[in-house]
Amino acid sequence: MTDVQQSRIAAGAMTADTAFRVRMRRLFGVLQGMASNPATVIGLVIIALMLVMAIFAPWLLEPNSPDPYQMPRDWGAVRKPPGTPGHPLGTTNEGGDVLYGVIWGSRTSLQLSLMVVGSTMIVGTIVGSIAGLVGGWVDEVLMRLVDVFLSIPELIFALAIAAVLGPSFGNIILALAVVLWVKYARIMRAQVLQIKQHDFVDAARVIGDSKLNIYLRDILPNAVTPVTVQATLDMGNVVLIGATLSFIGLSEAGIAEWGVLVSEGQAGIASGRWWASTFPGLMIFLWALAFNLVGDGLRDALDPRTEGR
Amino acid sequence: MRAAVAPQADDLILSVREVKKHYPIREGALQRVVGHVRAVDGVSFDIRRGETVGLVGESGCGKTTLGRVIAALADPTDGGVHYSMDGEMRRIDRLEGKAAQTFRRNCQMVFQDSFASLNPRHLVIDLVGRPLKVYNEAASADLVERVVELLEQVGLGRQHLFRYPHQFSGGQRQRISIARALALNPEIIVLDEPTSALDVSVQAQILNLLNDLQKERNLAYLFVTHDLSVVRHMADRLVVMYLGKVAEAGETQAIFDSPHHPYTRELMAAKPDLEAEANVEIRGLEGTVPDPARPPQGCRFHTRCELATSACGWEIDDIVRWLEDAPGMFEHLVGVERTSEFAAELAFDNEEAAGLLSMAVRSEQVPEAMRAAMRRLNLDGTKVEIEFEDVGEVELTVRDDGRMAACVLTPEEVASWKNS
Amino acid sequence: MLDERHCAAPVASVRDLKVYFQSKRGIVHAVDGVSFDIRDGETLGLVGETGCGKSVTGRSFLRLLPVPPCILAGGSVTFHTHVVCKACAGVGCEACDGTGRQAGRDRSVDLLGISSEDMRRIRGDRIAMIFQDPGKALNPTLPIGAQIAEVFLQHRTEELIALAGLPPDTVGAIRRFASQSPRFGDGWLLSLPGPRRAQRLRVEESLAKMVADALAETQVPNPGKLMARYPHELSGGMRQRVMIAQALACNPDLLIADEPTTALDVTVEARILELIRNLQQRRKTSVLYISHDLSLVRRISDRVAVMYAGRIVEIGTTAEVFANPRHPYTRGLMAAVPGADTPRGKLAAIRGTVPELVDPPTACRFAGRCPHETGTCRSNDPVLEAITPSQSVACFIDHPAQSGERPTYERVTK
Repeated sequence: MTDVQQSRIAAGAMTADTAFRVRMRRLFGVLQGMASNPATVIGLVIIALMLVMAIFAPWLLEPNSPDPYQMPRDWGAVRKPPGTPGHPLGTTNEGGDVLYGVIWGSRTSLQLSLMVVGSTMIVGTIVGSIAGLVGGWVDEVLMRLVDVFLSIPELIFALAIAAVLGPSFGNIILALAVVLWVKYARIMRAQVLQIKQHDFVDAARVIGDSKLNIYLRDILPNAVTPVTVQATLDMGNVVLIGATLSFIGLSEAGIAEWGVLVSEGQAGIASGRWWASTFPGLMIFLWALAFNLVGDGLRDALDPRTEGR
Repeated sequence: MRAAVAPQADDLILSVREVKKHYPIREGALQRVVGHVRAVDGVSFDIRRGETVGLVGESGCGKTTLGRVIAALADPTDGGVHYSMDGEMRRIDRLEGKAAQTFRRNCQMVFQDSFASLNPRHLVIDLVGRPLKVYNEAASADLVERVVELLEQVGLGRQHLFRYPHQFSGGQRQRISIARALALNPEIIVLDEPTSALDVSVQAQILNLLNDLQKERNLAYLFVTHDLSVVRHMADRLVVMYLGKVAEAGETQAIFDSPHHPYTRELMAAKPDLEAEANVEIRGLEGTVPDPARPPQGCRFHTRCELATSACGWEIDDIVRWLEDAPGMFEHLVGVERTSEFAAELAFDNEEAAGLLSMAVRSEQVPEAMRAAMRRLNLDGTKVEIEFEDVGEVELTVRDDGRMAACVLTPEEVASWKNS
Repeated sequence: MLDERHCAAPVASVRDLKVYFQSKRGIVHAVDGVSFDIRDGETLGLVGETGCGKSVTGRSFLRLLPVPPCILAGGSVTFHTHVVCKACAGVGCEACDGTGRQAGRDRSVDLLGISSEDMRRIRGDRIAMIFQDPGKALNPTLPIGAQIAEVFLQHRTEELIALAGLPPDTVGAIRRFASQSPRFGDGWLLSLPGPRRAQRLRVEESLAKMVADALAETQVPNPGKLMARYPHELSGGMRQRVMIAQALACNPDLLIADEPTTALDVTVEARILELIRNLQQRRKTSVLYISHDLSLVRRISDRVAVMYAGRIVEIGTTAEVFANPRHPYTRGLMAAVPGADTPRGKLAAIRGTVPELVDPPTACRFAGRCPHETGTCRSNDPVLEAITPSQSVACFIDHPAQSGERPTYERVTK
């Protein structure tokens, strides 16, 4: 801290505002830590571009009506290569515009990953916290349940669920959520068990604070770091697995989704129509790569050994 | 040093009575309890208003566990800690509601590791202000002023309010911990090795601070430490622990002048002062602390005591422990059939080893006191039958001038050995 | 005895040693121009508080510092190896007073400049080190015996072969084997060429004997049995004895002890201290004893060096420094230890905290905390100069600066 900052704090402004500023500065420090790693910056830039693309999709390309998430069909321009007027990235077998799929597909992917990661993170954190805090037979039952889930390969399990529920994009979200929460439960439980041992938890008990407060103020904030990192990594993984399920055909046909497009285009690769699969495939690759880069960067930036020192 | 004033009965704030804390040892897939670690095994002492009681001992003696029981962080297995409330002594683990809150507010704790005991994600204002928030004593602007007041009392100030623990040095962090403990204006603070992690120059600052605060607020301290020079400086009375039990207790000065227990004596001899003659011989203890899951019979210190007599509780385990370190015998031991802790039949797989043992326990190889305590020794082929005198536990007895020691020897006997 | 030591040649000389660390805030001058000698057969106590650079100084002898973030910014650590006694080949005989070494120097090397291969040969053989936490310094997956045997396999290969009567061409095989850290007694003999079973057994036996002898030196009960144990089965004191046995196995010229008893209980500490002192006296090994504990250093050292903020502020014979400390920091340190007669609440604490060592200014490092400080102290950097033939101090009280007001002990500004 510089002298100027210090004297400013000393001078007064003894309000919650000061505390807020200090906390923001710490957050800023984490961002700075991430920005010092070029790989992370690349990841962040890719994610930013993807987000811009998703948000501004209606302005970039006119939404298809009635359902903008369905591929528009231009039966007059079937299997056109990239560079065709009106279809810069070419068209699919059914005359779907590949560029439309790429741009609107980013919305689908964002939807998929946010919903899956959001729900699994919440469920996993709650279950893991209960197991770690309560302990005893509750812990035993919950963790055996987690073991059962973890003993089946992710993809196969999701595939089975999606297959049972029937092919639809919503079911893919559901299937992934059912499969992925266990990871968070396990991470959270380990964190809670470890942090419970810390002296600062005992210190809070000596003060006489309630159990809920100790959980919310001492245990949870110190436990979320690895969960956050895992969530960031999963933002990429979910799209990857989702694309795989779509590829196999567990999503509705004709939807503007990268996995579906790859699936539909793959038959044409042998006949030289590479574009229909390649561009959405590239997007999946970039998406997963970007979140993995950022996740790794976040892990380093949040490492308590380096944080703020 | 404070003069020893006879304490008034109403001065009593905390009374530790026969407290035991045993931890189960679990084994196997079914987590069956196979034994208990007797971390604290029947300890009693009192703490009075405004005084400092030093709890000393080496690692594994149970002092930290006892400190946690007193701070109500752990429940005792047996016995209880009684807290003086409205003129009567009440067991703290049976308090409920308002009464429990009163105790909670009046008994605070400062931990050894100031880094671990302060939540790294909280600002100083959150850390020190938290007790005030928990009991709704202050909010917003008032809270800030109260926290600043507390910080100033421990030698910090307003400029430290909005910083994280890692931005402070070890000594400053310990000051924050102390400010937090003071926030609720307690009667007693359990200090668990508060200066062990600090450098001496910083330790001096903290000890001075603790003493000033005690005078100002008439605080009682339970000072848990392994450092004799610190405890001599700080404590009015001393409780010396060894392997879960009290070895000696009394006025600090009196104990330092003439220890009544050989263990206390050894502790002092192991770490002479800076002021002592440079050529004073330093002494250490033989062997290691026995397993607290199977503490020795009689006096727990007899296995390492140079002054041990035949009445100190020699037992079969002593023979087994000796065998473990004796070359060429333990490997041949095939069974120990105990009739009691003091009598057993040791079976070997050959006659030679059995013969060796029966010879060894008659010779200089084992302590003289052990030989003297042996009532029977029979060599029968591959078996050796040994029986020791049956000795009860050596109890803590009150000596003159209110001192207590758990030793079969008289103070004169302990003192004479010291001079030899 | 002391006088004899004064003229004794140094076994190691540190000259203007500078070790820096790279950090987010800048370059930390952890050790900033430290010079001292360790004399033949003496124990030099290096005492100071957390972060004063004492451990870094000790570790730089064996280059046990991570580079980066560490930067060896300058200076030298010259080590003078002994000549091995010709009469007994280092085993210890009457001619060499049982030390296995002869007076006179074999060669001198700069420990900071030699190749890693040369350094590896010196480590554990000529210079050994014991650490604060023997639990971390010992490998938990190997039994005690194997860990000590490794030292012999590395540094006493010829001796081992001679003892077992093997042909000299097996040296390489044993060395190769040793560098792969195998388990004691199992499998390693397979790497020897030819089916010489009897000879292998002889090597195994002589190795076991050497290990047992090394352990017996440290007064452990039943060394034969201890060899088969794992570190976690032993108490802290016992582990430290094993560390000492391992360190002294090859009869080194210099032992660096970095807070070896800090993690131990006082009664055990006393025993370990006694052990180190006995072994040191018997073998005439030089010891650099690093500690924060004044009373301990006073007991074990012949000379003592006090470090503060990357510098040595005072050095001299233990008797002189403790009887007549000259530097205000040394005085403050001693006064801060609670004594029998110190009135409660009146401990002489040193005010303030240790300065950050990022770009330290040209000033006395103790300025700002010193009760005797004057303007001179804030603008000039004192250097270590002798005040008696055997005591040196870096303070303007004893060595006035060219200009400015001179501080005195009388002056107390609080």
